[in-house]
Amino acid sequence: MSVVPMTTTPIEIEPPVSLWRDAWHRLRRNKLAVFGLAVVVILAFTALLGPYLTPYDFLSQDLNSRNLGPSLSHLFGTDDLGRDVFSRVVYGTRTAFLVAIVVTFIAVVIGVTLGALAGFFGGWLDRIVMWLTDMTMSIPNLLLVVVINASLKTPIASWMESRYLATLNPFYRETIWVDFLLVFGSMALISWPPYARLVRAQVLSIRSRPYITAAQALGLTNRIILMRYVVPNALGPLIVAVSAGLGTAMVLESAFSFLGVGVNPPTPSWGNMISDGLRVWQHYPHLLAAPAAVLGLASVAFSFLGDGLNDALNPRGAK
Amino acid sequence: MMMANNIRPEPPAKTGERLLDVRGLTIEIETRSGPATIVDGIDLHVDKGETLGIVGESGCGKSLTMLSMMRLLPNKIKVTKGEANFAGRDLQKMSNSDLRKVRGGDVGFIFQDPMTSLNPVMRIGQQLAEPLIYHRGMSKADARKRAGELLKLVGIPGAEDRLDAYPHELSGGMRQRVMIAIGLACNPQLLIADEPTTALDVTIQAQIVDLVKDLRDKLGMSVVWITHDLALIAGLVDRINVLYAGTVVEDAPVDALFANPSHPYTQGLLASIPKLSDERSTRLSSIGGTPPEPGRRPKGCPFAPRCPLAEAICHERVPSLEGLGQNGAHRVACFVAQRKLEAA
Repeated sequence: MSVVPMTTTPIEIEPPVSLWRDAWHRLRRNKLAVFGLAVVVILAFTALLGPYLTPYDFLSQDLNSRNLGPSLSHLFGTDDLGRDVFSRVVYGTRTAFLVAIVVTFIAVVIGVTLGALAGFFGGWLDRIVMWLTDMTMSIPNLLLVVVINASLKTPIASWMESRYLATLNPFYRETIWVDFLLVFGSMALISWPPYARLVRAQVLSIRSRPYITAAQALGLTNRIILMRYVVPNALGPLIVAVSAGLGTAMVLESAFSFLGVGVNPPTPSWGNMISDGLRVWQHYPHLLAAPAAVLGLASVAFSFLGDGLNDALNPRGAK
Repeated sequence: MMMANNIRPEPPAKTGERLLDVRGLTIEIETRSGPATIVDGIDLHVDKGETLGIVGESGCGKSLTMLSMMRLLPNKIKVTKGEANFAGRDLQKMSNSDLRKVRGGDVGFIFQDPMTSLNPVMRIGQQLAEPLIYHRGMSKADARKRAGELLKLVGIPGAEDRLDAYPHELSGGMRQRVMIAIGLACNPQLLIADEPTTALDVTIQAQIVDLVKDLRDKLGMSVVWITHDLALIAGLVDRINVLYAGTVVEDAPVDALFANPSHPYTQGLLASIPKLSDERSTRLSSIGGTPPEPGRRPKGCPFAPRCPLAEAICHERVPSLEGLGQNGAHRVACFVAQRKLEAA
């Protein structure tokens, strides 16, 4: 007795396509997303190869050639101290990427861990995590960062100085890392809640899907179900959020540097360059235009890429 | 395409040995106004090699009984009383790790909706291999080979080439075949099919029923087929349990049930199946009213408020499942039907 055949005519079988490759095909068809991806890749290489691309050191001043307009020797001109603006923008890209990547990484680790635990175990753990999330989100971002920087920066700097005077250890003299640590820390602190919410919602919805019950009915362990069934299915929206989050983090870093609570001069940041340029923009518009244009480009590129990824990874929503 | 299966190859040996024995299983759900009973002290059993059909309308607790028996339900739904013995061991008291060995290993499941019951980001070959690796300790290569054989077994054309396909590349009927293959992967003693054809076209429904019938005879397992479609399973099952509001109201061999439906609810169900011989103008018969909501069960027989034959006693006391006739194989929980038989 044979099994009922499905059909007698042979069926043409297309080669199987993986979901990721499928998503890549869809992404490539989206012009804006390709533009975003290209800009992001170029900026990333710029950040990576910064020192090899810049004709001048970002700190070296040339007081004889101050406030020059764009020319072949100075692509974006020079600023009021005669520093090459192109070099500073390139180094600003490094700052932006460094801050964005580190901050997003910390925020994603915190957010995914808390969100997945809250969604998976529910109960009091869920309530505590969601309470923390809501509380963090209810505090105005700028205010929190200003408070953290204002209250911690000076005490730490003076402590470092006193340590340096006491020990003469050069480690304590370098305060630029304190700057970065404070920026990373305070920005990560305000950036994790959206990831936690997203992942929690994902885990909650995936947990109640039939294929999870089916996996349980197969006798698979919670660990296998979590790693092979829950996490991979939650990945799509997370990738989209991370892509958009990188752009947001760059804008945030610039905003803080613009306000003087982010990366401090002389370390170049798009934000503090915009802030400097703003004072003299009527006379030297290129000092404002160059960093502002690059910041705008980066922000738009990340958001196009995020949108494109969203459509590519959630085809059901797009079709 | 369809197979007229007039002669059953070799019916699996029915030893009368109980494989699954559910006794007094009571399931409650937590609601805002306190716990509400959904399944009330249900008794059912499946013998080795037997195929049991569980029939009833939506929400009567068919799937719930099977899922909660395997402890597959969310925390809000709890088994509060009773036991579910599988091969002599109570599934309700088993440790989680023992239970995991039973799930997928000894008891295979096929679910209602093949569209959503497969992991969308995993190739079907891998999903088939998972239980083999986990329960049978197979190597990845062996599991993959066996997965190909399983796909061939359930009649998927180009079986081996299909191993690397993702669920979204298959049609509904094909996916349900894959689900069946996964359910059968470890040669279970019992296959629980939870309305496996509800989401499929009528022609595909018949194919799936024939497929399960074939596989059952080939592999000699017991099957529990949950459905609300009496006609669909008439040729498949040995015995039918009719469920109403979380209790078995009639338990009968399939022929006896169709020949002599004794519970008014069963009679209503059978009457509501449209027949080709009906006059065009005939209205479809239906049972008036709706089943009781959990937490608002009537005091007496749960069907009494909708029952055309209900008497005073039906609203007062709950009838128990009593055997009719000589051998007691046909059992019904109805005062009126029981009295009629005594009088005869």
